Amino acid sequence: MSGERVPIKTAQKLVQLMMEYYMGAKAAESTDRKIAWITSGAPVELLHAAGVIPIYPENYGALCGAQKTAVELCEVAESHGFSRDICSYARTGFGSMLSEGGPMGGLPKPDFLLCCNNICGTVTKWYQVLQRYYDVPLLYLDAPFLHGEATPEAIEYVRAQIVDLIDQIGGITGTPIEQDELYERLQLAAKAIFIWGDLLDLMAHKPAPMNSFDTFIHIAPIVVMRGEQRCIDYYEALTAEMKERVASGVAAVPGEQFRLGWDNLPVWFRMGALSKRFAQHKACLAAATYASAWAQPIDPDADDMLREMARSYLTVYINCGLEQRVQTLRRMADKFFLDGLVLHSDRSCKAYSLGQYELARTLRDEMDFPVLVLEADMNDSRVYADEQIKSRIDAFMEMLAARKA
Amino acid sequence: MTPQTAALLEPFEAVCADPYATARAAADGGRKVAGYLCTYSPEELLHAAGCLPVRIFGYSDGTQRADGLLQAYACSLARAALDLALSGQLDFLSLTVFPHTCDTVQNLADVWRRNVRGGLHVTLATPVNVESDHAVRFYRAELERVRDLLAAVNGPIGDDDLAASIALHNKHRAAMRRLYAARRANPGVLSGRDLLTVVLSSFLMPKEDHLGLLLELDSALESAPAAPAPSPKVFVAGALCQNADYIGAIEDAGCVVVDDDLCTGSRAFAVEEQACDDPLEALARMYLSRRPCASKHRPAYSFGRDVLSRARQAQADGVIFLFTKFCDPWAFDYPDMRKALEEAGVPSLLVEIEQHVAPAAQFHTRVAAFAEMVEALHGGANERATS
Repeated sequence: MSGERVPIKTAQKLVQLMMEYYMGAKAAESTDRKIAWITSGAPVELLHAAGVIPIYPENYGALCGAQKTAVELCEVAESHGFSRDICSYARTGFGSMLSEGGPMGGLPKPDFLLCCNNICGTVTKWYQVLQRYYDVPLLYLDAPFLHGEATPEAIEYVRAQIVDLIDQIGGITGTPIEQDELYERLQLAAKAIFIWGDLLDLMAHKPAPMNSFDTFIHIAPIVVMRGEQRCIDYYEALTAEMKERVASGVAAVPGEQFRLGWDNLPVWFRMGALSKRFAQHKACLAAATYASAWAQPIDPDADDMLREMARSYLTVYINCGLEQRVQTLRRMADKFFLDGLVLHSDRSCKAYSLGQYELARTLRDEMDFPVLVLEADMNDSRVYADEQIKSRIDAFMEMLAARKA
Repeated sequence: MTPQTAALLEPFEAVCADPYATARAAADGGRKVAGYLCTYSPEELLHAAGCLPVRIFGYSDGTQRADGLLQAYACSLARAALDLALSGQLDFLSLTVFPHTCDTVQNLADVWRRNVRGGLHVTLATPVNVESDHAVRFYRAELERVRDLLAAVNGPIGDDDLAASIALHNKHRAAMRRLYAARRANPGVLSGRDLLTVVLSSFLMPKEDHLGLLLELDSALESAPAAPAPSPKVFVAGALCQNADYIGAIEDAGCVVVDDDLCTGSRAFAVEEQACDDPLEALARMYLSRRPCASKHRPAYSFGRDVLSRARQAQADGVIFLFTKFCDPWAFDYPDMRKALEEAGVPSLLVEIEQHVAPAAQFHTRVAAFAEMVEALHGGANERATS
C-alpha cells in the first residue's frame, strides 16, 4: 500500500497535555507545592504519592534539542568551564540554569532533587552540580550496574534505599507518604507501562502503524506522567487510533518495504530529516530500545511492591551488560520482523554507546544481522556531519535491498 | 638528590622501565597474577587469594587494536589498556578485576570479557553512593561473592589470610603517606617525578618487596637535611597519570610538584584502617570511606573545597589540572574546582592529556607560561611582604 503519510491525530492532545504540564509546574513555583527535579529512570511514583511535581531536565534537554536551541545553551555551559565532551543534555540544562534562559524561560526551580543512576553515572555528576548551584537536598538512589543477573543483595540494596526515600521525601514535604497512596500510584504506573508496551507491540504489524520517530515524540507522557491517570488516558486514545490504523492497513511509512530497529537516544535536532531519509527508502523504524526502556513492566500484584519496584528500576535495559543487550536486540529483531538495526553512537551518552561496536560486531558476525552505526549526538548539532550520515544511510539501504533481492 | 637517595630509587625505576616484566616473571615462576583496573579494586582480596595483584594501565603505543571496539570518545585509559590486552602483552594474567566506577569502565568490562582471551573475569559492583549503611552491607556481600569466586584460583580464602593481607596493605599505605608527608615538609629532597615513579611501581610489583624498599626510602628522606626546592610550588590534580614524564615536564619548567590528587598518587593511599573483626566488612568500610574518585557520590564532599584545602596545606602557589580527555566524572567537577581556587586567589591551569601519549610540545609551552605567571605573582607577593 502506498500513498501520503497520515498525521497522527492524537498528537494534538499531546501538545496540549505537555503545555498543561509545564505551565502547571511553572505556576506552582510561587506556591507551597514542592517541585523536584528527577532523572528519567528514577521512581517518580514516590513524588506523585507525595504530591510533588516532577520536573525532568532530560526531557527539557530533548525539547531544547528538538527546538534547535540546545547549542547556544551548551555554549553558555562551555563558557563556564564545562567540557564540550560531556553529555549535551547536561550542558543544555546548565546553559539554561546559568543564563536563566531557554524555552519557556527555563525550568521552575527545584525544592529538592531525586537522582537514580540506573540510566548512567553521568546523572550522578549532573545532579551534584545542580545540588551545589541550587543548594537544595539531593536524594540519591544507587542502582548497581548489572553485568549479569540481578543478585538478591542488589535488589535488597535498592529496596532499602527506596524505603529511605519514602521517609526523606515525607520529611521534605512535611507530610509522610501514605502506603495506600504509593500503591495506588504504582498501580497507575504499572497500567500506563502496560499500555505503552502494548502500543509499541502494535508496531510488529506489517505495515507498522507508527514509526519510532513518532514514539520518540509520544514518549513524553510515559516519562514524565507515569503514575497519573492522564498518562493512561492519553495512551488509551493513542492506542485506539493505532488499532484503527492496523485494522485499515494504514502505514506510518507509506509503501513500507524495510523494517529497522533503532538503538540509543534520538538525534533530536535532525528527527525530521532522518525520518524523511529513511522513508525515502521505504524504511520504517519499527522498534527502538529507547522507547521500550519505559515499557519495563512492574507487576501490580507482587507480594512486596517495594521489592518489585526495586527489581523493575534495577533491571532497565541500559543498566544491563552487553550479554543482556545482545539478547534484547535479538529478541526485538525477531518480534518486530526487522531487516536491520541502526545503532546511534551518541557521543554524549557513553553509558548507552560504548559497547555498541561490540554489539554491532556480534550481530553482524555471529548472527548475520545487518547493522548500521551512525556517529552523532542527541543534542549537539556541531558534531553532526549531514552528508556523511546521508551517504551512510543510503549505502546501508542499498545493501539491505540487495539482500532482499 | 643525594647519591644515597639515588641508589634507593633505582629498584623503583627499574620496575617502571619495563612495567609488566616483574609480573610476567612471577607468572613464569608459577604465581597467579591478577590484573585490576583501578584503585577501587580490593588488592587485599587478590593478595589473600595468593595472587600477585598488578594494576592495568594504558601502556600501549597506540589504540589501533582497540579502535574497532571502542569509540574515539572513550578515554585514553580505556582505549590504550584494551589495546595493550589485545596485543597479547597481558596474556600472563590469570584473572582480571573490573570494579564499577564510570560509564566507560562499566562497558569496557564487558567488551574486555568478550574480546580478551583467557582467565577469570571478575566484575565488582562497588557502590556509587559511598556514604550509607546499606552500601556497606551490599558491598560486603559483593566482596564475599568475589572472595568465593577467587577460591577457584588457589583454594578458599580464610579470614586470617585476609586479615593479614589487610594489615600488609595498611602498612604500605601508611608508608606511602609518610613519603608524601616527608616531601611536603622538604620538597627539594625528592622530585615529584621520582615520587610518581615510586607510586607507579607500587602497583606493578609485590607489595612486600615495595614496602621494604619504601621504608628505607622514608627513613632516608625524613633524616635528610633541608634541600633547596625550586619555585613555584605546584599541586597537581586529575583522574590519574600513568606517565611520570608529565610530572617531569612540569618540573623541567621550573616548578616543584609538592602534592597531588591523583588516583596514581595520594588518592590511592587515602584509605584508613577500620577497627572491625570481620575482614570483609573492614574492606567494605575502607574502600567506601576513602577519599573518593570523581565517579562516586559522597553527599557532603566537595572536590572544589578539597583541592583548595589540600593545595593550601601543601603551600602550593598554583594548581595544574591534568585532565584526561573524555573523563566525564572529572570534567563535571572541574568548573567547581576552578571557581574555588579562583575565589581564593590560587592560579590554576587546565591541560588535556592522553594517558598513552608522551607530553607534547604544547604541554611544555603551556606549563612554562603558567610557571612564569605564577612565579611573577609569587615574586610580587614576596616583594610586597618585604617592603
